[in-house]
Amino acid sequence: MNGPLRLRGRELARMTLRTPLLQAAWNYERMQGVGWATCLEPALERLCPDARARAARLAEHAGYFNTQPVVASLALGVVAALEERRAAEGGAVLDGEIARVKTVLGSALAGLGDALFWSTLRPLAALLGVLAALDARAWGAVVLLVIYNAVTVTLRARGVWTGYRLGPALLAGGVRRRLESLVEWGSVLALAACGLLFAALLVPGASLPSIGYQAALVAGLVAGLFTALHPRPSPTQWSLVAGVLCIALSWR
Amino acid sequence: VTGPLLGTLAVAAVAAADTVALAQTFLSQPLVTATVLGWLWGDLTLGLGAGCVLQVLAVTTQPLGARVPEDYAAGGVVGAGVALVLGRGHPFASSRDAALLLGVMAGLLASLGGMALARWQRRRNEGLARWCEAELRRGTRGALLRASWAGVALAAALGVSYCATFLALAAWVGEPLVHHESLRLARAWALAQPLWMGFAMAQLLNGFVRRRPRRALVFAAALMAGWLVRVLGVA
Repeated sequence: MNGPLRLRGRELARMTLRTPLLQAAWNYERMQGVGWATCLEPALERLCPDARARAARLAEHAGYFNTQPVVASLALGVVAALEERRAAEGGAVLDGEIARVKTVLGSALAGLGDALFWSTLRPLAALLGVLAALDARAWGAVVLLVIYNAVTVTLRARGVWTGYRLGPALLAGGVRRRLESLVEWGSVLALAACGLLFAALLVPGASLPSIGYQAALVAGLVAGLFTALHPRPSPTQWSLVAGVLCIALSWR
Repeated sequence: VTGPLLGTLAVAAVAAADTVALAQTFLSQPLVTATVLGWLWGDLTLGLGAGCVLQVLAVTTQPLGARVPEDYAAGGVVGAGVALVLGRGHPFASSRDAALLLGVMAGLLASLGGMALARWQRRRNEGLARWCEAELRRGTRGALLRASWAGVALAAALGVSYCATFLALAAWVGEPLVHHESLRLARAWALAQPLWMGFAMAQLLNGFVRRRPRRALVFAAALMAGWLVRVLGVA
């Protein structure tokens, strides 16, 4: 008699390769739902040999799901492990649990992932990239891409395996601590990069810039700190207004 | 011009797909697209001049949850593209600075306008998701991958069309301005460029130190150290 179906490295690798498509059909109704089901399809092809049952599971997974796209690979691994258990226990016993785990992991990982990738790593990579671009020109883009992708590609590549191995207890252990520590240290590094970039702008090259230039830089800093207290207008809208004002002032 | 123009549109397609729909590897960031465009048009200095400002402004916006952030992928391509189209071949610094100012302004406008386009695209994707679910229930194999790649293709096509339209309009409006008002626009660039950089860095600073004011010491220490190294280097 055959034992319960288990996922192999091959299915986990195919899931990992599909993670770049997670947000391909992002929409307000189901958010990442379609992409989530696309990533999970290789696992369900293995675990649900019956085409009708598989289609039903995939349609179920194509419903609502949303989290930060890089850390989603961890959630994919966890849900693949649960689907494996579901297939082994032969029924819909775990359907409720899978839905619950998706919801909980989705929001918990979104909080961690947003803080790590959007609020920390993105500014850090951008600031170091711009800093490099001021002196080393084309290397700035390379610095930005390498810093950001070194973390994201690693997490994407290992996330499905880690989630599969740890299961629903994923965030109870060291993974959460490691992500939080990355946020902490990343923020400190980003602040240092911010200071270095500001210094590089104050003293850009072989000679000191004009007082007018330095005054405008500091005025921008003060205006930015003041406007940051209010969510609206957005920084982009403020920047546009500042640009129009500069043109108006220069037109006199 | 045909080669760089086609290259610009290809960069627009890659950037638009990379932003949300495919992989998010940061190929869509203004610094990256501006570097590629600068290389394509043979003027890296001009491309990076617009790209650095737009990059620092781009990180002040956050794509959190269902919020539609400003579309700096389009903004970066349009900003650097306009600066390069208007400024290439001009030997005078004032004309090049005028092109940079118009480029960054066009980039900011494009990133704001791109938000409406992103909302429209997300609504279109709802139909795609419903189609996909119906096909899945019907037992169609490959429906998920087809829907996903359709989403990527839609994002790329929209990005190309939007950037091409914006580039054409901005170049048409900007060309006479660079020719006739370059001195005034160059003065505005000398004022606006440091203002934008300081403004964007303040937004970032606020984000990092809001709940932990003591972290501001890290910024201050790095600023002092960087300043000293640079001033001593200058001296």
